[in-house]
Amino acid sequence: MTLLTELSDTLASTVTKASPSIVRVEARRGIPATGIVWSADGIIVTSHHIVQHDEAIKIGLDGGETVSAELVGRDPSTDLAVLRTDAKDLTVPSWAKTDGLSVGHIVLALGRPGKTVQATFGVVSALGDSWVTPSGGRLDRFLQTDVVMYPGFSGGPLMDVSGSIAGLNTSGVLRGISMAVPHGTVKATVETLLKHGRVKRGYLGVGTQPVRLAEALAKQAGQETGLMVVSVQPDSAAEKAGLLQGDVIIAIGGEKMRHVDDLLTYLSGAAVDQKVDAEIVRGGKLRKIAVIIGERG
Amino acid sequence: MSSRIQQLNNTAADLVARVSKSVVHIGNGSSGGAGTVWHPDGLIVTNAHVAQGESLWATLSDGRSLRAQVLAHDRRRDIAALSVDATGLPAIELGDSRSLQAGQWVFALGHPFGVRDALTGGVAIGTGSNWNQGPLAGMEWLMLGLHLRPGNSGGPVFDTEGRMVGISTALDGPESGLAVPIHLAKRFLQDSLRLTTAA
Repeated sequence: MTLLTELSDTLASTVTKASPSIVRVEARRGIPATGIVWSADGIIVTSHHIVQHDEAIKIGLDGGETVSAELVGRDPSTDLAVLRTDAKDLTVPSWAKTDGLSVGHIVLALGRPGKTVQATFGVVSALGDSWVTPSGGRLDRFLQTDVVMYPGFSGGPLMDVSGSIAGLNTSGVLRGISMAVPHGTVKATVETLLKHGRVKRGYLGVGTQPVRLAEALAKQAGQETGLMVVSVQPDSAAEKAGLLQGDVIIAIGGEKMRHVDDLLTYLSGAAVDQKVDAEIVRGGKLRKIAVIIGERG
Repeated sequence: MSSRIQQLNNTAADLVARVSKSVVHIGNGSSGGAGTVWHPDGLIVTNAHVAQGESLWATLSDGRSLRAQVLAHDRRRDIAALSVDATGLPAIELGDSRSLQAGQWVFALGHPFGVRDALTGGVAIGTGSNWNQGPLAGMEWLMLGLHLRPGNSGGPVFDTEGRMVGISTALDGPESGLAVPIHLAKRFLQDSLRLTTAA
């Protein structure tokens, strides 16, 4: 057998091996999409954007059987949804840590929009650090591939060549770009949705705009800009912490606040009800106040 | 590591050089297409939509251009059998389209936009007749991650051992091509030409 045939057979056997853990999700008009078995007792993880109706969701299993499912919860900001079926003894796939992944690695995207599992091929195009989606969800890694997201592939696995799942493919986070939500974020989100039915996102209750710091302050704080509080929402975490209009936020929880994006990024990953220190400038002087992070409604 | 990749490249290049001997160009007075030598005694298989026109010419890999006759065609399945007056042609080795699995590597040779013997490679996306999209529905196809373009039609889709598994037929988008599975072509030839092939 040539090396080429060996490669080809390995790819095909990766698909066959993963097949029992890949399900069809019928929760929208038109072409169904894909989901991944999360636990043997019937939990399925898929993409939020393909679950267009909460009722009458159907899951197509590997053996050809179709079972009904209910929506446990969804997190639009990471484009994930969790479904529950009555199916038992499902095959749980193995997940890979993204640490082992590099740009250039061969990957497969699998989907089950129909009866059988389909596959497309590509490489890891970009792998970055933690990244915040346009809708404010934090992914533990930015994982982009060049696999073709064939219709109905959203919610399916991105497989590495060892047959482990590196992430959940979605075309719903960035249009026209094949992104995968990495295992770390999938795990955290699924666990939260199973526990609470929703994902809590941090909230402060301030309107801000970036301002340039006076030279002496800039030197002291080690940054040139901060965020001036232009409004404080009544009963918000900010008001309770005593933040006032005109305060300039320098840092929260040790993270420097130079631009409005810094605050949004920080809050999307911040633990609700957590007590953190905020460094602010008030009356021309640096000071610290304690803030308890609120929840975005 | 890089030597393994080089080895892969060399294997693929040898394979393509071997298979391309069985690939012909079909001239039909308009855009033309591709065809594949099925039997050394001048039997060529192509798409029915390529085998149309007043006169058909097959240009072989050795450069000879020969007049081609249509022996049989099936428009619904888009298969045609042609004959040219020649013997000892390099026939392609036949594979098994029914055992082709999603994820397996495949190649196609053809003449996209008239470029002779151009290659495209990718993996099998899926096989079977379970397609919900319009013109595909209910028919058996190989759905492939290949960039098939006008001029690829009628050419061979082959596996990593150079065995023909399908006939390049259509595209289902820029990134996915459709091929008629080779077992349907075998059945067509058996039915229409009473030809028995080792299946």
